[in-house]
Amino acid sequence: MKLFTKLTLFITLSKMVIAILFVLLLPFLVEDIAFRYNDYYLKEQRKKVLNVIWKNGIDAYLQGEENYGSYTMLKEEYISMEPAGKNNLPDTIATLQRVVEGDTLTYRVLSHIFDYHNRRYMLEVGKKTATISQYNRPLQKVALYVLFGLIVFTTLVDLIFTRLLLRPLGVIISTKLVNRKFPFKDHIPPIRTTTTDFRYLDDSLIELMGKIKEAFEKEREFTSNASHELMTPIAILQNKMENLMVEDSPDEELQKKIVGMMKTLNRLKKIVHSLLLISRIENDQFSKTDSLSPYTLVTDVMEELEHRLEEKQLRFNMNISRQIILHNLNHDLIFQLVYNILNNAIKYNKPGGQIMAGDKLIPGEAYQLIISDTGMGISEQEIGTIFNRFKKVVRTEQEGYGLGLSIVSTIAEYHDIKITVSSTVNAGSTFIISFPS
Amino acid sequence: MKVLIIEDEKTMAVEMQAFLEKAYYCCDLAHTARLGLEKIEENQYDFILLDLGLPDKDGLHLLQEARKNCSQAAYIILTARGQLEDRIKGLDMGADDYLPKPFSLLELQARMQAVSRRKFGLTDSEIPLGDFNIDLHKRSVFFEGQEISLSRREFDLLSYMLLHKNRPLSRMQLSEHIWGNFSDDDYDSNYIDVHIKNIRKKLSAFASVDWLQTIRHVGYKIKL
Repeated sequence: MKLFTKLTLFITLSKMVIAILFVLLLPFLVEDIAFRYNDYYLKEQRKKVLNVIWKNGIDAYLQGEENYGSYTMLKEEYISMEPAGKNNLPDTIATLQRVVEGDTLTYRVLSHIFDYHNRRYMLEVGKKTATISQYNRPLQKVALYVLFGLIVFTTLVDLIFTRLLLRPLGVIISTKLVNRKFPFKDHIPPIRTTTTDFRYLDDSLIELMGKIKEAFEKEREFTSNASHELMTPIAILQNKMENLMVEDSPDEELQKKIVGMMKTLNRLKKIVHSLLLISRIENDQFSKTDSLSPYTLVTDVMEELEHRLEEKQLRFNMNISRQIILHNLNHDLIFQLVYNILNNAIKYNKPGGQIMAGDKLIPGEAYQLIISDTGMGISEQEIGTIFNRFKKVVRTEQEGYGLGLSIVSTIAEYHDIKITVSSTVNAGSTFIISFPS
Repeated sequence: MKVLIIEDEKTMAVEMQAFLEKAYYCCDLAHTARLGLEKIEENQYDFILLDLGLPDKDGLHLLQEARKNCSQAAYIILTARGQLEDRIKGLDMGADDYLPKPFSLLELQARMQAVSRRKFGLTDSEIPLGDFNIDLHKRSVFFEGQEISLSRREFDLLSYMLLHKNRPLSRMQLSEHIWGNFSDDDYDSNYIDVHIKNIRKKLSAFASVDWLQTIRHVGYKIKL
């Protein structure tokens, strides 16, 4: 998941959790606040009553009566005063039932005991509980609207800001990481950002890419130099030997030795050629712009190999579709790949054996070229290492230089071609070359 | 024919000279581009063999300048760089052929002959070989006007040996000429024997082929 998506999800989810918590808590909070305020209000009322008694005497209420009671029009509040017993109780606020004009109503009641002229009175101030909570609903509503608005607003601000903040990272990813193909030939300027983390990341990437490019250039240079430096002495030796051969010396033994030396030199030449080829492929020095028909390719390869086929009296069966055209390949390299595999199929075959070349198109996935032989096969423990450089397997016949299949694997890797090998000893091997679609 | 070899590797130039002089070419040597250009100004050459990796100047630049002074010569580029771009560039700039190092001197001579046939239109394309005649243009062998059919590779072998007549050629050298980079010496050299056997069989039906000699431990030679 992308960082921005993650942050968006986190921001939205966390805000939603806060909103849900708030909505759940809101009724209790509002209720609590209403009751607290009400208790405060009752205390204020008591203060007012006591002030009046203090100023005007208790008769301002009692007017000679034993007790006093009064309530507002809709019985929402009431006040009462009556003589109290001897016991001295502290102030209490409680929710109690009171009977007013025959109606039993629930009130929040503050009871207060006070002395006046050596007499003890009890003052009760009450407010109907229903009226206490009357503003709760509208209050909750307003609070919810405000909350909703705030959440939408802050989420938007958060997202916009996150997006702005993460933009440099996006730029780094799109310009420096995505679709960047090795070798990094074009120079990409550093990004503009005030975030030091991104700055650091970008600088590090630029530095790394620079180093890789440098190493790549060095290797390319080395390959070119090495080919020159190795090939020149080989060339000189070869030419010297060629000139030696023509000397009109009747010495048979000497000529035999020269031919032997030339063979060894030829072997050296081929090893150097193969290593240079591998190195050039790994250095990306071949274009991949050719299109080719597998049918024509295999036909061409077999034409080159015909004489070897004849010598071993092998039968060759080809069943390849003529319509298929493969694109974005290097013709010479693919030729070499198929050549090496078919050459091995001949080399390690038994006299009178058979070689089959077939194909299979898996729509949308791959095109497979399948080459199988009836040769000596590859044992299970050897099959994993046949593509390794200089890995030789135990063979009784004349050996190659152990580079043929590693060239195959290098070419395959260069083209994203997969090669799978299955084999049974003394029965034959099958190479499946899967070209990406 | 007059040949100028521009090659900074002195030993290599000397070997080329020794080989070509045996084939009756007349060779001059130059080890730097500057010397090469001087020689080109002073003399007329039929062939200029040019190494690309010279110490004082890039071979491709030299090729451009040399062609101004000596445009009728045939140019063959020799290089150890071996990159495809160099080859294309060289041929684009008017080189007649291109040989990557290390090359066989036999191959060099064969290319030179092919270039001279193509470029200078030498008409002696029919070459006598014992009682036979070989037509390099038509790629066929005649005995008293009668054509003898040889396979493509048999003809290649025969004409290559004829070009290098009186020179012992090893099986490896022959197979390298025929199969190039794909030759597999231990494998293909046996096949050379098969070809030679076929050539002998086809030709000896008409006349003696004693000129095609087997050289023990080495290979074959056409002795004329």
